[in-house]
Amino acid sequence: MQSADLVRLAFRGLTRRAVRTTLTVLGIVVAVASMVIFLSLGEGIRKVFRDELGAVGPDLQVSINGINQSGPPIANVPQSLAVQLEAKSKEYGFKSVTPVVYAVRSGGFDPAQSYLFYTYPAKQGTADIIPNAEIAQGRAMNAADEGKLVAVVGSKAAKNGNFKLGSDVRYNRRNFFKVIGILKESGGFSDSFILVPLTTMQKAQGLEGKVSVVAIKLDDPGSAKAVAERVKKDFDVEAQTQSDFLKILDRAVSVSDAIRFGISLISLIVGGLAVANTVMMGVFERTREFGTMRAIGAKPSFVRNLVLLESLILSVLGGIGGVILGYGGILIVNWYTQNLASINAAALTGRLIGFALLISLILGLLAGLLPARNAGRIAITDALGRN
Amino acid sequence: MLKAEGISKIYPSGESMVTALEPFSHTFSPGQVTAIVGPSGSGKSTLLNLLAGFDKPTAGQVIHQTPQQTTNLTQLLEGDKARYRLENFGFVFQNYNLMSILSAQENVEFPLTLLGIPVKERLERSRAMLASVGLERRTGHFPSQLSGGEQQRVAICRALVTNANLILADEPTGNLDSKTGAGILELLLGPAREGRTVILITHDAEVAARADVRLYLRDGRLERVEQREGATV
Repeated sequence: MQSADLVRLAFRGLTRRAVRTTLTVLGIVVAVASMVIFLSLGEGIRKVFRDELGAVGPDLQVSINGINQSGPPIANVPQSLAVQLEAKSKEYGFKSVTPVVYAVRSGGFDPAQSYLFYTYPAKQGTADIIPNAEIAQGRAMNAADEGKLVAVVGSKAAKNGNFKLGSDVRYNRRNFFKVIGILKESGGFSDSFILVPLTTMQKAQGLEGKVSVVAIKLDDPGSAKAVAERVKKDFDVEAQTQSDFLKILDRAVSVSDAIRFGISLISLIVGGLAVANTVMMGVFERTREFGTMRAIGAKPSFVRNLVLLESLILSVLGGIGGVILGYGGILIVNWYTQNLASINAAALTGRLIGFALLISLILGLLAGLLPARNAGRIAITDALGRN
Repeated sequence: MLKAEGISKIYPSGESMVTALEPFSHTFSPGQVTAIVGPSGSGKSTLLNLLAGFDKPTAGQVIHQTPQQTTNLTQLLEGDKARYRLENFGFVFQNYNLMSILSAQENVEFPLTLLGIPVKERLERSRAMLASVGLERRTGHFPSQLSGGEQQRVAICRALVTNANLILADEPTGNLDSKTGAGILELLLGPAREGRTVILITHDAEVAARADVRLYLRDGRLERVEQREGATV
């Protein structure tokens, strides 16, 4: 028998109980869609960081213990390190050396009210930190703002916090920063930044003379790895390149991928059991039919393959539907995160589509194995109702 | 020609053994219709299962001879036996056993599909076969849309479409009224006139009377063999 005939027969077998088949496929669709949406978050975050880091991130980040996956580092780097590094600018090929303090204000259950404070010497200007940044309203920070309670806010942060020129941005009970400028929307991370003069934040945190990292831009970004090694050796500090940072991030996202996949595995198992149940019921109902096929001359392997194929068709249809529904879900997630932070937090990548279809295929295979084995072993005499 | 040589069947039943068929030997000749007759539990179906290779005999062997080859069915592996049935045997069942998901034509096509016959040829052969039993206008109908007699005619077409040289029919008229049953019987007698071997299981005396040879079974034993007047063995 040709494969096309077998596929046709399998489809006929499935359409015999169209409602049951449709419900089973829908079960798989929902299971795969939830997996796709869950895992698309990891893919999206990776993509965002890859795209954004080159634009916003420095070539090197120098800190005491290195930046790990636990979040923004605490300010424990002596600011004098920045001065020492700047002194070596020519020798090491530094384009700029910027002491930076990161700070996060959590908005609790409302992510729209969480802000990332990116603080650096006010005299440095915005271009070193956010290339192509333009002021939409008000003005940029200048040297005179150092130590003052002022802030320049990104467009998304302004929208989410409803900040206008002259508004107060609350950092903690005692410290409110007056908005002196609002940036134009750039469509990235920086839209959610709140830029504050370095010493202002150091005072607010009570950590004068300390910074989170020293951010370095290089004349030749291609030499980042070699320069990082030299800095580490010469200054006994951690120096991480963008690539190091991406690796850390990838590790963190991978762990979170595993957790999210674990959660979605529950729905996949339920979907798989639904397929197994449908196929098993089909085998039970069609025992006589399979017996007739065998009597006429179909080999046991033919019946086995037919049942397995039905299971695979169910799961692959569910997988395709799941990817399509998942894509719909991703669009909704991205609509939300675009409004929140100008980023697409979820992404449907080729490898995610491939993974979803592969999982569906494995699901169908596993769900169909037992019913197929049983169908192949049907005794003709029993199936035909004899003896 | 199909030869049963001392085939028997003993089933375990709890701790005891039940003899469903005592050693049975008979040669089913080409061009003849043989009816296996007997009451329920006489061993007719057991005998058919063994002859068709659906079940393995406890002892003895079933040998099928064609001008081209001699095959001991008892010694074939399951897959090979299936293939042998496909190429040489045709089956007709009391409950028609058509596949409900396939149309009349697709049911007839099914064994040709298993044989790997190209689509065009199997369409032509199945249409011609259905036309020969007067079902040319019912080719696209599904079994649920056909009467019992029509379904059995489709089943006979399915049995004959591969040019099988042995037709095994289990109570082919059992579920039909006498008029329809007579028509079906005529269709089954036809292949014998063409030189094929036809074996019928029946408990209907009228059907049995049309057979060339009648094997009477009782309690798993061949009680007697009758030959229709004028029939040649």
